[in-house]
Amino acid sequence: MSDPVVSIQGLSIDYVVGAGRFRAVSDVSLDVERGHVVGIVGETGCGKSTLAQAIPRLLPEPPATIGAGKIFFQGTDLVQVPRWKMPAIRGTGINMIFQEPLNSLNPAFRVYDQVAEAVHIRQVRESGRGAVVRTEPGPFDDSRRPSPKASDAWAGKVVPGGAAAEAVHRREVDRRTGRSRDEVRKEVLDYLRLVRINDPETILNLYPHELSGGMRQRIMIAMALSEKPSLLIADEPTSALDVTIQAQVLTLMKELIEEVNTSILFISHDLGVIAETADELGVMYAGKLVEFGPVGEIFASPRHPYTKALLRAAPTRYKSDGPLLSIAGNVPNLARPPPGCRYHPRCPIARPVCRVEPGPPLQAVTGAGSTHRSACHFAAEVPQIP
Amino acid sequence: MVPATPSASATRSPARDASRRLGLGALTFWRVLRANPLTLAGFLVVAAICIAAVIVVVAPHLLTQYGPDQLTTTYNQPPSLHHPSGTDGNGLDIYSETLYSLPLDLVIAFAIAGVAMLAGGGLGLVAGFWDRPGTVGGVVSVVVMRITDIFLAFPSLILALAIAVSLGRGVWQLIVAILLTWWPYYVRLVRGETLAVKHLPYVTAARAAGVTEGRIVLRHILRNVLEPVVVYFTLDIGTVLVTLSTIGFVGLGLVYPGQAEWGSMMSYYQGFGLITAYPWTVLGPGLAIFVTVLAFSLLGDGLRDILDPRSRRVLAGTGTGAITAAAPSEPALPAGGGGIAIPVESEVPIAA
Repeated sequence: MSDPVVSIQGLSIDYVVGAGRFRAVSDVSLDVERGHVVGIVGETGCGKSTLAQAIPRLLPEPPATIGAGKIFFQGTDLVQVPRWKMPAIRGTGINMIFQEPLNSLNPAFRVYDQVAEAVHIRQVRESGRGAVVRTEPGPFDDSRRPSPKASDAWAGKVVPGGAAAEAVHRREVDRRTGRSRDEVRKEVLDYLRLVRINDPETILNLYPHELSGGMRQRIMIAMALSEKPSLLIADEPTSALDVTIQAQVLTLMKELIEEVNTSILFISHDLGVIAETADELGVMYAGKLVEFGPVGEIFASPRHPYTKALLRAAPTRYKSDGPLLSIAGNVPNLARPPPGCRYHPRCPIARPVCRVEPGPPLQAVTGAGSTHRSACHFAAEVPQIP
Repeated sequence: MVPATPSASATRSPARDASRRLGLGALTFWRVLRANPLTLAGFLVVAAICIAAVIVVVAPHLLTQYGPDQLTTTYNQPPSLHHPSGTDGNGLDIYSETLYSLPLDLVIAFAIAGVAMLAGGGLGLVAGFWDRPGTVGGVVSVVVMRITDIFLAFPSLILALAIAVSLGRGVWQLIVAILLTWWPYYVRLVRGETLAVKHLPYVTAARAAGVTEGRIVLRHILRNVLEPVVVYFTLDIGTVLVTLSTIGFVGLGLVYPGQAEWGSMMSYYQGFGLITAYPWTVLGPGLAIFVTVLAFSLLGDGLRDILDPRSRRVLAGTGTGAITAAAPSEPALPAGGGGIAIPVESEVPIAA
């Protein structure tokens, strides 16, 4: 458990809007272990998406600025990497699935061109012509197969007589990856089948507007996976879909998590989604990570009053009597966060100290597992909250 | 692996592949045109005009028996079979003169609109995409936009006339004069479109997939900006022709026989008061301007439908909501009629 794919340390992100400046994410530390699925939950506006987009440095800077902290990925601190170098890390290193499947595909290109672009980016890097980024083995792993170098093709090394170079010249073989058009096509089809698209041959030739939201999201997932990323960030991938499609995409994601050995950071406001997919769970409130631990343990015995309230507010099909519970009060305005612990105005066990002293850093909870940590002064009392 | 010999599948009809990649086969193009009669008319007239221009350059005797400066023995003749647009006071056949001016007028119009599109559009793309304040791109963007504003602040026709006067007569002088007032509109147009497109989720998604900024501009932004620009360009050909004629009409155009452009011809005849006595003299070049500008406008209006995949599919009847069976140009679509088997609303079930 000491080989995190990405290690976030004390990350703070500010938005500067006009004269105001507010901290959307404050002092978040988080590790995503290799091969693990880490879920992040929280209410709207708690900084989940900001955190997700900050990791591959996709936040528009300005207005966003990384105020403090480090994001370690494969030994480099992404906060220090100049922006123009980031494309080499994105894609095969850190890839992302977004909330809006309806607008995340380019309307001007057919499905084939879009998936092929992703496949091509990876192949270029595998061929050693792009920035070298380690990629995870995918479901169609052919990394053991020696990939022909484009330089070989140019030099006519692969086939005596320079037939390969000629193939490059005729544009049947990509100049940079040395792969033939058919190989790319086959791989595109493989990934479309992986995301359970029936009749991928037909889908290839369609434009995004001819596909439903669920189909588009599957294609986004196929594109992301085809780059074999070390870390996949799924930013509420099912939120924009209606419930039946949500269920299908979720089932697909769960199956893919088994099939593809990728570490995933799964952002959601839906506890049910997280319960089904994640290994570890982080709970965010008002820009802070208030609890982190194994999913089962948090669900069984939450150690932060906010998590407890969140779990109680989640509708279950087993408990249909009584009104739907909600957490009293609102998420605080991050431009003027409340003094002390940010949750104290809504907290049932708040004491005077909570109004003055900010919540403690994440710390192990007595009576809970060693990996279960909470940012509450009175974490031990949380189980007594009715 | 690099195939030793190009296999049959590797060479599988590259032409078909290419047309599928473009998404704009000749057949699709024709279907969209057919669905829109005005566009079709515009397209046919533009095609006819372009073909006529080529014939005039290559083999003019196919269209007219008179040279541009060939005097006939008849003066001020009304239109007849022999002289479709009559003759002028010098005995020149007006139809031939108008025809001989066609290639030059077209080339000038395309040159001005084309260079303005490439230069102005390129500046607009750069200024729109890299416009973050406090960066090199932001400074460049501000400089480009302020220079554009300065040019736009002048009435463009007056500015073009002033430049034309100072440069003197000649084809190049005329092109430069109009071009200098023409590019700012493309900067504005492309920058506006770029600003709208660059914040769309698919650009962020492309960025997340590791696409470099340069490639995002050239592939994802440019392709989605192209549509309104090409439409504007086509409409612009007509506008350039009108401006060109205006400059010619006020006496700053090209007047040599065979190199005259239409506005100058009209001005020349009008200057002698011939418009009342011999109206056909003005009618020849006037009609030429009218038809050409109208044709390009009609084509430009319909081009949007051809360039946009959404309306293209609907109009061509090859997409969802198809009226006819799947087009033969798209063999991958399931046969079985009714277009495509993917209903938009219902989801294709997850395969077992």
